[in-house]
Amino acid sequence: MLPKATPREELLINLRAAYARMWVRLRGSNREITGLVAEIGLPILTIGAYVILYRAIGLPPTAGAAVIIGGAMIAFWTNVLWNMSSQWFWERESGNLEMYLVAPVSRMSVLLGMAMGGSVNTSIRALGIVLLGIFVFQVPFQLADPLSIGLVFVLTLVALYTMGMLFASIFMLYGREAWNTANLLQEPVYFLSGAYFPRIYAPVVPFALQAAGSLIPMTIGLDAIRRLAINGEGIATVWPHILALIACTLILFPLARRALNYMESLGKKEGRLTLRWQ
Amino acid sequence: MAIADFVKSAGESFRVGWKIESNWTDPVLFATYQVIRPLASLLIVAFIVIIGASVGASANSAFYSQYLAWLIVGNAFYAFVLQIMLGMAILVHVDRTRYEVLKNIYISPGTLHPYVIGRGLVSVVNGAVSVILTLLFSVAIFNGLLHMNIPLNLLNVNLLMLLPAVILGIVSLLAIGYMLCAVNIVSNRMEFILGDSVSGIFFLLGGVIFPIALLPSYVQPISNVLPITYLLNAVRESFGLLPTASYMSDLAYLAVTTLVTLIIGIAVFRLAEQRAKKLGLFDRKSEY
Repeated sequence: MLPKATPREELLINLRAAYARMWVRLRGSNREITGLVAEIGLPILTIGAYVILYRAIGLPPTAGAAVIIGGAMIAFWTNVLWNMSSQWFWERESGNLEMYLVAPVSRMSVLLGMAMGGSVNTSIRALGIVLLGIFVFQVPFQLADPLSIGLVFVLTLVALYTMGMLFASIFMLYGREAWNTANLLQEPVYFLSGAYFPRIYAPVVPFALQAAGSLIPMTIGLDAIRRLAINGEGIATVWPHILALIACTLILFPLARRALNYMESLGKKEGRLTLRWQ
Repeated sequence: MAIADFVKSAGESFRVGWKIESNWTDPVLFATYQVIRPLASLLIVAFIVIIGASVGASANSAFYSQYLAWLIVGNAFYAFVLQIMLGMAILVHVDRTRYEVLKNIYISPGTLHPYVIGRGLVSVVNGAVSVILTLLFSVAIFNGLLHMNIPLNLLNVNLLMLLPAVILGIVSLLAIGYMLCAVNIVSNRMEFILGDSVSGIFFLLGGVIFPIALLPSYVQPISNVLPITYLLNAVRESFGLLPTASYMSDLAYLAVTTLVTLIIGIAVFRLAEQRAKKLGLFDRKSEY
């Protein structure tokens, strides 16, 4: 019988697993320059269409700045959907899932590695989208408090990727549903999060819509970042956003852990963890 | 006989494609899925206009309701572009890498072309369902629920003007989808980019949510050679949202651009097919 690992050894091996998974994600996503160029350039097409629409209906240039930030944040949502939520589905299809399951590490460390790699990768792309958007559309920003923007941005990513970990657990046993569900969660979330609106928390937007949107951490973070980066407001105006983002993380993380354990156990009972081509 | 075989193969391909796309869930959930995406896209642009109107941007309320109707129709019919581009761009990858059946389809006598067409027609049906449901929901939401009096009367649509435009538009989109399949046959790195790229370009340059006259002048020549531009013009004319005087010229331009796209699509596909056969690409498996 193997000796039981000490808590320190257990922590170290899990951190190494997270690092390894992050490294694969970083390496895999950046080896293709066409992919990188497309992931920065493609959102600009949609952003450009909305910026021109804003101009057509006579909204101020700050609305264009809002849509550029929204477009950049959508890159994170897309990453969460396709590279976090659906990831166990891809891994099962390519035969890797069983290897993760027999590895002597927590599945949460694998998800953590995916989240870290995905957030770093997508941050590079989001920065590219913002810079390209500013260059092409010449929209105004007021960066009065960059540190606060950085803080809100990091809190938003943590909450968002924790939600991704929860979705990954729920999607674990999906077959084609994974693909279709990820597709389904794109445009409705773009709408609910107000990514392409000047702001979601405006009087003209129905309260029910604002409430539904607030269930998505991106909505809260996006509004806070826009207030700080476009309106030039200070951190004092976004503290409810900061508290909400921290609350999201604290609620979603244990839920993700429980969901993962439950789905793994269900998959073992039903023999679906290695089932391909569903 | 050859035509009968082609139609039969395309029909079987349609049947397979429909099952793959729809039998992952129950019909109610599938129908919900079909309508939620285009409806959400529509609500995004509609709310932008509503927010524009609420902050008292430049024009009067008649301008906004007219513009909203123009935008709803453009956005609804853009569902054809999304469905066909995204469906056909991923087709080769899914059949070659995931299900590993592309080689079997290819070695069956004369099945690859009707197979691609049949699968493309599934996207057409999905697109048509999305268009119809989006239009119905738009009227129900904006006129029924929000009482915005948008000048959009679905019973007054001129079907004699609408149908030829839609048929030509679908043929042109299928031809472009054909090209995307061709590119994917000879490449294994583009499948997740191509559909979004082409549909993104059409969204920006095709006059979907704003008139192409608002684009920078150096980009407008590109808009003028895209079939989608004329498709949306003709569709809006059939809905009475644009003057009908230019309908025939729009239809003629649509026919010409469709013909050119069709010729290029078939030629590109043939070239890709030859190259794939020469290099043994039909059974290439790639994983990320």
